[in-house]
Amino acid sequence: MIASRFPSLLAELRRLLGDDHLLANHSEMVVYECDGFTIEKNCPDVVCFPRHTADVQRIVQLCNEYDVPYLPRGAGTSLAGGCLPVGGGVLIVFTRMKAIEEINLRDRYAVVQPGVVNVWLTNALKGTGFHYAPDPSSQGACTIGGNVATNSGGPHTLKYGVTVNHVLGVEAVLTDGSVVRFGGPAEDYVGPDLVGLLVGSEGTLAVVTKVWVRLTRDPQAYRTMLGIFDSVDAATQAISEIIGQGIVPAALEMMDQGILIALEQAFQFGFPLDAQAILLIELDGLEAGLDEQRDRVVALCQAAGAREVRRADDPKERLKLWKCRKQAFGAIGRLSPSYCTQDGVVPRTKLPHIFRRITEIGETYGVRIVNVFHAGDGNIHPIVLFDERVPSQVKAALDASGEILEECIACGGSVTGEHGIGVEKIPFMAKLFTPGDLDVMARVRDAFNADGRLSPGKLLPTAAGCGAEHKPHGAAVPTVERSHPGRRAAL
Amino acid sequence: MIAAPPKTLPLSEIYTPATQADLAETVRAAYAARTPIYPLGGGTALSYGLAAKMPGWGLSTASLNKVVDYPARDLTITVEAGITIAELQKVLAAEGQHLPVDVAQPDVATLGGAIAVNMSGPRRYGHGTLRDYVIGITAVDGRGQEFHAGGRVVKNVAGYDFCKLLVGSLGTLAVVTQLTLKVKPVPMSAAWLAVDTTTFEQAEITLAAVAASRTTPTAVEFLAGSGWNGEADDIGGELSESAGRVLIGFEGTAAETGWITSKLQEELSGPQRMRVFAEGAASAALLARLTSFGCEASSAASPLVLKCNVRPSRLMELVAEVRKLFPSAGLLAHAANGILLVRFDGTSTIHDIAKSLLGVLQPLASKCGGQCVVWNSPAPEDLTRAVCWGPARESDVALRRVKQTFDPHGILNPGRFIY
Repeated sequence: MIASRFPSLLAELRRLLGDDHLLANHSEMVVYECDGFTIEKNCPDVVCFPRHTADVQRIVQLCNEYDVPYLPRGAGTSLAGGCLPVGGGVLIVFTRMKAIEEINLRDRYAVVQPGVVNVWLTNALKGTGFHYAPDPSSQGACTIGGNVATNSGGPHTLKYGVTVNHVLGVEAVLTDGSVVRFGGPAEDYVGPDLVGLLVGSEGTLAVVTKVWVRLTRDPQAYRTMLGIFDSVDAATQAISEIIGQGIVPAALEMMDQGILIALEQAFQFGFPLDAQAILLIELDGLEAGLDEQRDRVVALCQAAGAREVRRADDPKERLKLWKCRKQAFGAIGRLSPSYCTQDGVVPRTKLPHIFRRITEIGETYGVRIVNVFHAGDGNIHPIVLFDERVPSQVKAALDASGEILEECIACGGSVTGEHGIGVEKIPFMAKLFTPGDLDVMARVRDAFNADGRLSPGKLLPTAAGCGAEHKPHGAAVPTVERSHPGRRAAL
Repeated sequence: MIAAPPKTLPLSEIYTPATQADLAETVRAAYAARTPIYPLGGGTALSYGLAAKMPGWGLSTASLNKVVDYPARDLTITVEAGITIAELQKVLAAEGQHLPVDVAQPDVATLGGAIAVNMSGPRRYGHGTLRDYVIGITAVDGRGQEFHAGGRVVKNVAGYDFCKLLVGSLGTLAVVTQLTLKVKPVPMSAAWLAVDTTTFEQAEITLAAVAASRTTPTAVEFLAGSGWNGEADDIGGELSESAGRVLIGFEGTAAETGWITSKLQEELSGPQRMRVFAEGAASAALLARLTSFGCEASSAASPLVLKCNVRPSRLMELVAEVRKLFPSAGLLAHAANGILLVRFDGTSTIHDIAKSLLGVLQPLASKCGGQCVVWNSPAPEDLTRAVCWGPARESDVALRRVKQTFDPHGILNPGRFIY
């Protein structure tokens, strides 16, 4: 159905955007057939690069007129298939809406377009004494619009909070084509917190075209440490102790031996390769209080059995350490041709338990699993290594991942701490939530996205579980191909 | 327990369900009968919003006050929504922890009520507001459908974030029954520093300097107006008619608060009179006094209070206008957050101020990036929607759709908000 109406839609989009802001040849669009979740792929029918809100508004209006699905995309770093064009259609890519429109230090906010890369904002703020706190590991590539969609986290969210804690307002194009501002530069607008609802809605409620973000004062000083452990168990115990004592570091990351070896090969940092686990602990705040806190952390690590606690206070060393950590996923290529990472969360006291279970699950399925955790948040990233050319390995990797997430749920946790549900984790929604919960979520989605053209096949499971993913109010089945080959590949 | 019998609500019955399931059952019955439901927590904020005109049932969470789970070493707690703030803080204090959000009348106010009205106080500058602490929620929508969102872990992006949506929703989308919160360790010490200013320009210079400070205040307050007469002991000395006072609160280890004290004095050095005046118990007393401003428990009729939210840099512009229009009012601002409360004396009525509110303050607040609403009214029946909630916003259309979703028959707190 899309195909028959497509030529005239394409002509209208071309008239609107010009050839420089549109791709429609399959060979040029291949890069947009998936994001960081590469297991499912589906090519969009057209890729648009709007220059301003009015372009986005017109694209949405055209998609409505032609009854074609559409979805927004930032840099495509989603690890859960958030940018997968499930039903094909129009992909609205925000990489050309990349202006930082305003920086206001007195009022501690900035206004950015959605295509601004996360680290650009922090770079633009260098020397001002302020920064933008959410720092996902992909911050050199991912966009703030994408961060808003998935409510992204990062290592320093332990102390500073995730994206939603730093978003004051958004401008969005709603599915009826209207442009609406929610929140804004002030705090405490009266009424229900719609900004809080839109952040993390994975592009299923509206298309965000502008973001008001909170700026955070730079800490005066840091104390960065490496806790070196001969067993993962001791390291996870140390994490539990540090949090249990009421110390909230700026960041508290764990890396196991498997990932350390890859990192060392890639970056030659000088990690002790015989260690079973390393904790990267960063305290920040006022110089006056940091030594006292550091001494407490060192003592707790030692009591938990740390072999050594090294300081990494030198600014250069600190930056290199964080570079290693944030590029950990890139180093996996040295270990395996393919990998998939999970994003489970457990209560922090359950970290020793979940790590033991991950090891057992890896053994059961005969897959190698390496680990890099946002440990302080209880957010685990087990990385399952496999070769996607070997079907039995793909199956084992997916099965092992699934079982790890089941265990997170059993521990009272969640299947995603920061990557989102996307298409990847939809099957887990019914395990995390009751039918009643999902019904309310579906109704909210329908309130914003009644025709289901925006980001179909994302975040929420189907009511019936087969075929018609989203058919609100008994409306005529939208032209979204519910049983699209890309979606089928995953099921 | 409800602070005062809710005379302002047209209640035919008050139900106090013993369990969350019973509460859902009551809402289902109301849904079937299309009977309005007025959720009741501690009853401390019932004079916020328009008058309720449609007779209906009061639905009290007084019996839903249990601690469900407190894994202290995870720094999280799960409680029922009817627990009072004081009881919650007592439970947390036993483990050296707290919820660093300021709520007036904590002995009576409930957590669910605080969430419904998005209560906050001075420490919001350093610690944020309730939306930053709710990580899991259970609530009953206007159909009597119980639903959950979030969970019990501190980081979680599965599903829509109704934890945020329901903060400030004024009981119009759902009745909150249970919450999981992030909590924090209690700081070792706290102190306040006072800077008296003689002009609004001088106050803005001080506030701008605090915003750029190397220190880490948890509260930045601004006080002005004759409404503070006679409170010298609590607020750091008599506040003269023409002056304003900036109060800067901070906390941490003794070493940290010591350093902040001397650093701030260096950074703010100028002609102002500056002093450290509240430490230890005095600090807690000051915090409680500032928190209760505009929500004082009193047997007398509650005063008329306005709340404005603007960009912090525009706050003094608004303060100057308010002082000019209403010289006898008392002013308290959570200045670094751009929140201003204006408390009128007991004799002022909405009729006295409506013209200035509609013609001057609301447009000015809007120009400064925010709004001006009636935060407390002794006579809600005298309020119109425009007076109480200000001009319509472009997001209202989306909000109405959300309301329709959660409460299709419009039985939750009907007529009190914009819908």
